[in-house]
Amino acid sequence: MAQVQYAPPAARPAAVQSVLAPPEGPTLPLSQLAPEAALRRLELAIVRRLEGFLQGDHLGLLPGPGSDLNDARIYVPGQDDVRRMDWAVTARTTVPHVRDTVADRELEVWALLDVTPSMNWGTGGVTKRDLGIAAIATIGFLSQQMGDRFGGLVMRPSGLRHIPARAGRTALYALLRSMLTEPIVPDETAGVMDLPQGIDQMARTQRRRGLRLVVSDFLTPGDIELDPQAEPVWERPLRRLAVRNQVICVETLDRHEVDFPDVGDILIRDPETDFERYVNTSDDDARLRMNAAAAAQRERIRVALRRAGCAHIQLRTDRDWVQDIARFVLAYRRVAGALHRPPRGHSQ
Amino acid sequence: MTGLILGLPSFMTPGRLWLIVVPLALLGLYIFLSKRKSRRGIRYTNTSILDIIVPAQSQWLRHVTVGLALVSLVCLAFAWARPLGTDQVPRERATVVLILDISNSMGATDLSPSRLAVAQQEVVNLVDSLPDGYNLALVEMAGSSTLVLPPTTDREIFQRAVQGVELEPSTDVAAALRVALSALELVPAGEDDQPVPAAVVMFSDASGTTGSTSPKQVAGQLAELGVPLYPIVFGTDYGYVDLTNADGQVERYQVPPDHQFFAELAQITGGQAYGADDAAQAQEACAKIQSTVGHVEVEKEVTAQWAGLAAVFAAVAAVGAVMLGARWR
Repeated sequence: MAQVQYAPPAARPAAVQSVLAPPEGPTLPLSQLAPEAALRRLELAIVRRLEGFLQGDHLGLLPGPGSDLNDARIYVPGQDDVRRMDWAVTARTTVPHVRDTVADRELEVWALLDVTPSMNWGTGGVTKRDLGIAAIATIGFLSQQMGDRFGGLVMRPSGLRHIPARAGRTALYALLRSMLTEPIVPDETAGVMDLPQGIDQMARTQRRRGLRLVVSDFLTPGDIELDPQAEPVWERPLRRLAVRNQVICVETLDRHEVDFPDVGDILIRDPETDFERYVNTSDDDARLRMNAAAAAQRERIRVALRRAGCAHIQLRTDRDWVQDIARFVLAYRRVAGALHRPPRGHSQ
Repeated sequence: MTGLILGLPSFMTPGRLWLIVVPLALLGLYIFLSKRKSRRGIRYTNTSILDIIVPAQSQWLRHVTVGLALVSLVCLAFAWARPLGTDQVPRERATVVLILDISNSMGATDLSPSRLAVAQQEVVNLVDSLPDGYNLALVEMAGSSTLVLPPTTDREIFQRAVQGVELEPSTDVAAALRVALSALELVPAGEDDQPVPAAVVMFSDASGTTGSTSPKQVAGQLAELGVPLYPIVFGTDYGYVDLTNADGQVERYQVPPDHQFFAELAQITGGQAYGADDAAQAQEACAKIQSTVGHVEVEKEVTAQWAGLAAVFAAVAAVGAVMLGARWR
């Protein structure tokens, strides 16, 4: 395969406009979401057992026709195929045995994309929402195997929109385009749907085991807790989701969310709540305290995700997400088995 | 500055007051813009943390700066309309008739050394403090009032006349006022045939004990001429005099001052009565009379005052603007 040169996308002023007003459209074209060719060499480690009928690369949960050998059991005349006889075991035990196979399974990936107004923000070239779509694209191309299906859930304040799971790269492109062209949610939209509900609904409606992506900034409006021991509202739904699925959480982050900007005395509004206040951002003390609090907030998110048994990718709008995800995937191969060990009493 | 306290002054060109519309319109605009919800500002996602880290800034500096700038504009609009204030200008010519009560009751010693002595002292002081151009007349008030000294500008004769008075029995306020009226007639008219402004100052202690006409009637005549009466009422409620009657026996008379009577008289003429329980109060009353009789109120343009006021407000507003605009660090 030819070596594909990949350069990070140039900074686009369109995203910076999101500081003043909600963006009018995607800040990233479909073609720049992920370098598909460069990602072919990477492979996402899937450690949890899956369900499905197609030939695949992944471990299955139920016995069935397949190529992967499972346990040997006593031959039942008339029911078992003699071609499946395990002669070695039969010779050892003097009782006829057959070798079972495990059904080959395909992977089903569902991605939950948070498009609430706080995601329509970014100072580093892309908005957090488009960074999340780029992350879905990158992970989607990584997990593209024969028969693997990729579905999407778009979490708007008014409710979840399903993009059905389909196999193949054309279907993945369709899904990404659909996510990119999803209408921008206006500021201060009142709605019933929030992240915990979105996760719960994904766990309820998508019953097939598989890989789940949760893309959000994991910020809860009005949550002022900084103690890592305190559970965020979305932790329990995530833990429920992780019982049956392998969950990867993509936390999208902007540089100025952890490094409070110095822009003088300015009116600051929240895109989701009615918060509106003049803040003297030139106050060094306040900025330092703000940065410390934001760091503690991110640490709390990290700890909560780890507690829930989810893998955690932190992406920043001012960094190259492909590089970050590639680094994650390489390290993930070693830690995924331990990380996604299911709770006691549940199968792998 | 009286205009500020007592209300709006009168203006020489009130038509220019329409300029006040400008600051009022600006005030309305400011309130409208402050209340408007869709103000521009930056969007920021992590405001739940920001809320507890950076407490709400008080907006008083912003409001005070805008308010002072607008008040400064209002003051400037007033200044442009040329406001009128009053000013105390020393009078050049005037006639003052001093009526000195020499009835026996003035011999009471409740004021030290006696009521008459204090009154004499105050007359001398008042005469000294009045401008040299004033015509002064002295009237002795007793059972029969006499014009001791017709209007004159000679202070030395006047002082000698005051020192030379002696106590006499009974009091006739109405007669004394009539004599004062006749003394005023002796004064020649002013340059443009206008009567020279005049005032009557009365040093007394009690209402009349004799006399056929009512003092209030004479006071009415004074009022018609536009001559105010300023009585200074001497004595305390416990004053008394010991008098030897025809039989050679000493009788004691209570001589309390009659404040009510003199206050009514003064009110009729448009003047004011003062009480003097002791020498210090008498001095104070004389000082007040001197400033009212010795000065005339003149309407004057006070544009500079309002412009100065506007400058002060503008300066404070500018300080606020600098504090808002500057980055401290």
